[in-house]
Amino acid sequence: MRLGKRSTAVLLMAALLSLGLVASAGWGLGLGDILKVGGIAWLVSQYGDQIDKFIGSALNERQAQINGATKVVPILSVGQGGYIGAAQVVGNPQNVKDVKAVFQLEGQVGSFRPNIMVPTVTDKVSGNPERAKGVGVSAVIQFRI
Amino acid sequence: MLRRVKVVPLALAVALFAALAAAAAFSAASVSYRSAERDGHRVGEVLIGDQVVIVLRTSAGGYVPLERAEVVASRLRAALGEELGARDIEVMPVAGGSALYIGDRLIVTANQAEADAQGATPEALASLWRSNILGALGIADVSPEAPASGQEATPSQEPAPSQGQTAKPAAAAGDSIDWTGTAQKWVPIFSLETEGAYIGAAQVAGPPAQVAKVKGVAELRLNFQNIGRIFVYVPVSAISLTKLDRVQGVSVWATGDIGLVRF
Repeated sequence: MRLGKRSTAVLLMAALLSLGLVASAGWGLGLGDILKVGGIAWLVSQYGDQIDKFIGSALNERQAQINGATKVVPILSVGQGGYIGAAQVVGNPQNVKDVKAVFQLEGQVGSFRPNIMVPTVTDKVSGNPERAKGVGVSAVIQFRI
Repeated sequence: MLRRVKVVPLALAVALFAALAAAAAFSAASVSYRSAERDGHRVGEVLIGDQVVIVLRTSAGGYVPLERAEVVASRLRAALGEELGARDIEVMPVAGGSALYIGDRLIVTANQAEADAQGATPEALASLWRSNILGALGIADVSPEAPASGQEATPSQEPAPSQGQTAKPAAAAGDSIDWTGTAQKWVPIFSLETEGAYIGAAQVAGPPAQVAKVKGVAELRLNFQNIGRIFVYVPVSAISLTKLDRVQGVSVWATGDIGLVRF
């Protein structure tokens, strides 16, 4: 029952976001992106456990399950176009629970693709992200901004 | 017109994401954990649905009961994603106590300290947790060959089988992993993607003993045009094309790769 309500809420949110995006098409650049980033970050924070479970199940099917502590947090990626989504972090259980977000910086030089992922204990975009010690990334689901 | 074309994939992306979350919500039995007070002490409880199946009363490995419950819940959640029978859930002797396994996956260890706190033997305690899990999942106990339920779990096993027995896993969260310290190293990474295969190096990090086992990282990357993408990183202990032997507790911090083959 509770799950049903949650799912309904998610679908409603998706519908609202979609409507907002469609409406924003006539208002100019920016609003759709803001809605998308905010909406997806909100969805990730609200449904992190379910997404975590989904990723866990998918990995289980391939015999690559994670037995330690995991958590799903929002991830913001810059460098190769902007992306927003969910990242599953894994590591020291005491530190995993403090992770608020992951910032990803990626690039491309010819065919070389550098990629750095920083799990942080802050979800603020401004300032220097404080890295969560002993925690890294195991999976990412992202959408282009 | 152009804007409309842009909006469609955006809306699709959000709807996809929502569908993913909804699908996840319905998959597998719901496992959760919480802090509770029992006999004047804070304990960590692991629940399946609304039934408490494991109660952890003691700290271990630097983790308080609630943190242990979180880790156990995470393991249980992962294990319950598969089709299970009573024989898949086993109690096995381990150094310092008894451990509850689902398949080949360690769920929780009942060490002597936890057993003492619960007034039972480690084996009895682990068996009790097993019974609780079977009960919560509605699986009939066909009583495997091993220790399972009946065993002298009784004495201190407190009340009844199901609801929140006090269980105190020996090694709690980190059970088989010593989380002291963090090590990093660079290893080869092989990435299989929708557009081709890439090879390069990945920086992995984790407990020193675990990091030492890592021989490489397997990456699966799916790109969905301009809509989005999915990455999965699996640090492995052996380079193999047929099996992913994940090294637990290790994660990826950075990667750098170049194209090898284009599909």
